[in-house]
Amino acid sequence: MGRARAASCSSSSTESSTQIRRNLSTDLRLGLSISASQQDDPFSLPSVGDDDQASDWPPTKPLIMRRALEEEENEGSSATFFVKVYMEGIPIGRKLDLLAHDGYHDLIRTLDYMFSTNIIWSEMDGSVSAYSETCHVLTYEDKEGDWMMVGDVPWEMFLSTVRRLKITRAM
Amino acid sequence: MNYFPDEVIEHVFDFVTSQKDRNAVSLVCKSWYKIERLSRQSVFIGNCYAISPERVIGRFPGLKSLTLKGKPHFADFNLLPYDWGGWVYPWVEALAKSRVGLEELRLKRMVVSDDCLELLSRSFVNFKSLVLVSCEGFTTDGLAAIAANCRYLRELDLQEIEVDDNRGQWISCFPDSCTSLVSLNFSCLKGEINLTALERLVARSPNLKSLRLNRAVPLDTLQKLLMRAPQLVDLGIGSFVYDPSSEAYIKLKATLVKCKSIRSLSGFLEVVPCCLSAIHPVCQNLTSLNLSYAPGIHGNELIKLIRFCRKLERLWILDSIGDRGLGVVAFTCKELQELRVFPSGVDNAAVTEEGLVAISAGCPKLHSLLYFCQQMTNAALITVAKNNSNFTRFRLCILDREKPDPVTMQPLDEGFGAIVQSCKRLRRLSLSGLLTDQVFLYIGMYAEQLEMLSIAFAGNSDKGMLYVLNGCKKLRKLEIRDSPFGNTALLTDVGKYETMRSLWMSSCEVTLGGCQTLAKKMPRLNVEIINEDDQMEFSLDDRQKVGKMYLYRTLVGPRKDAPDFVWTL
Repeated sequence: MGRARAASCSSSSTESSTQIRRNLSTDLRLGLSISASQQDDPFSLPSVGDDDQASDWPPTKPLIMRRALEEEENEGSSATFFVKVYMEGIPIGRKLDLLAHDGYHDLIRTLDYMFSTNIIWSEMDGSVSAYSETCHVLTYEDKEGDWMMVGDVPWEMFLSTVRRLKITRAM
Repeated sequence: MNYFPDEVIEHVFDFVTSQKDRNAVSLVCKSWYKIERLSRQSVFIGNCYAISPERVIGRFPGLKSLTLKGKPHFADFNLLPYDWGGWVYPWVEALAKSRVGLEELRLKRMVVSDDCLELLSRSFVNFKSLVLVSCEGFTTDGLAAIAANCRYLRELDLQEIEVDDNRGQWISCFPDSCTSLVSLNFSCLKGEINLTALERLVARSPNLKSLRLNRAVPLDTLQKLLMRAPQLVDLGIGSFVYDPSSEAYIKLKATLVKCKSIRSLSGFLEVVPCCLSAIHPVCQNLTSLNLSYAPGIHGNELIKLIRFCRKLERLWILDSIGDRGLGVVAFTCKELQELRVFPSGVDNAAVTEEGLVAISAGCPKLHSLLYFCQQMTNAALITVAKNNSNFTRFRLCILDREKPDPVTMQPLDEGFGAIVQSCKRLRRLSLSGLLTDQVFLYIGMYAEQLEMLSIAFAGNSDKGMLYVLNGCKKLRKLEIRDSPFGNTALLTDVGKYETMRSLWMSSCEVTLGGCQTLAKKMPRLNVEIINEDDQMEFSLDDRQKVGKMYLYRTLVGPRKDAPDFVWTL
């Protein structure tokens, strides 16, 4: 696997060797690979290895990096748990993967975005009135068929009992 | 000369266990040399090409445990071609022919064939322990031979291995009479494993203390294994994918609460992104946690876990923990001694100087660090040096090569200078970021105990390398890549290399002529030029720059197993 050596593109490179090497990382990213120069150039640098498979940077053992890349590929096939989500007044619902969220805060964030609103749930503080303009309450149907407010039980317990979600207008 | 009979001296030497000390003992006088060599049981060979197996066996006939290292460190980063060397077969063959009663073999960065494992398993009746780190060249057939033939096997430990998994049946090859296992680590194997055979093996191994599973072992098997081995001290979880409402998961939670001996946890090779609460009860007793193979665990979940780990001494983690997460580590883990933060490859998940400063302030016992980060500042490094002067290992890798201090746009010379000045016991150092010759001046001046130094994309001139070679009296391993050090630096003090194990220089300014001069002057060094495809094929011009040079001291001359592309000058 040969590597072309990039010669410095600036003629000022022939100046004193105490000159601080300029930050050439931009150049490297542009993939400059000028063909091999025989001159003893203090600023000559090898170009970034262009073979992604056998990368030598960052200097970490291949197994760790490979696991990270595999994980990115596998993201689609790891465990999922999709539930239906309805907003009051809108007949067509959405579907949401609860396992793709790591807790209530994450879930609320997604729902706020999905439905363009502010969601109230049991961990909100007392200043609800400030939000009373456009906000909704998040509830869920549990295994017994009852409708409960989201957020009272530990996240994991919630995952094991939730069947679907509903966003209703705040009373 | 001796006031005591040999047996008494030998008994005294039994208490001298470190190889360094035993080497010192053997230099005192001929009599002590003889007594020491006949009684030495554990031998460490840092470079398998520095000596021949025959000479080792000749000197230490009582050898029971052998540790061998093959390829240079930069081989880990794909800088060494596949067939460079490091074959262990000649060693095993020589040991088998001799009368050595080998019990333990530990190999790092060596090439091990199935034939070799087969020979090993058949040649030593009392063979107890095989540890392979970053090795290659064998398949699960070789493991099957070890399992089947080593009747008193205690330890089979595979780390960082890429093995061709032919069948998952090697685990069935442990005979029913094998009940001696203490440690079994096959976490890096990719293929399927016979789960029933694994369960039976664990059930008949009452001394099993360490068990690290691969990703093919599902949650319900894990639960069954833990039921059989509640005495486990070290656990590596394979697959941690579950349905939160499933009975298997509920059972596992209950079982984990009973495993009160677990002190070390690793793995999670396959994991559901959320909810590791089943693990929380185990966390309070953990001294070692390795989640560097679990990119599936999100930062928030990592943080939740860490909050329970008050006794942690060793933490290996991915940078997805973030600076905030490191703040939690600093707050929680007051006993922390070793921290490694690896890059997860995800762009926005990275740590910066903030995380490191927090750790240095919060963890007074920290002495070993490996830290991959987005950026670093001089101010942060100076603060770290002030907070903590205990570092023995300090390895910093800024992911953006040659990146300066982002605040001042200055090189990181002052920061690293502060580290070496403050940490008087520093033995290992890895540099990164924008660096000039100045940092090497500091290293040469202050890093008196430094044994290993890794340099990449640093320095301006030969002076840099010379500062290090002149100043670091205890230097053993120096590895340099992509830095402007040339023949002057290489040739100024050629005697230095006989005091070191090895020197690696790649993509530097040394020329073929310079290397040849060195090789001529120092016959007890092997100066190897690794010549990859298109470089240097037809031209033997002295002025041509050398792509990769690896030199090491040796007592046995040029090696006979060097492939075509390696020239020993």
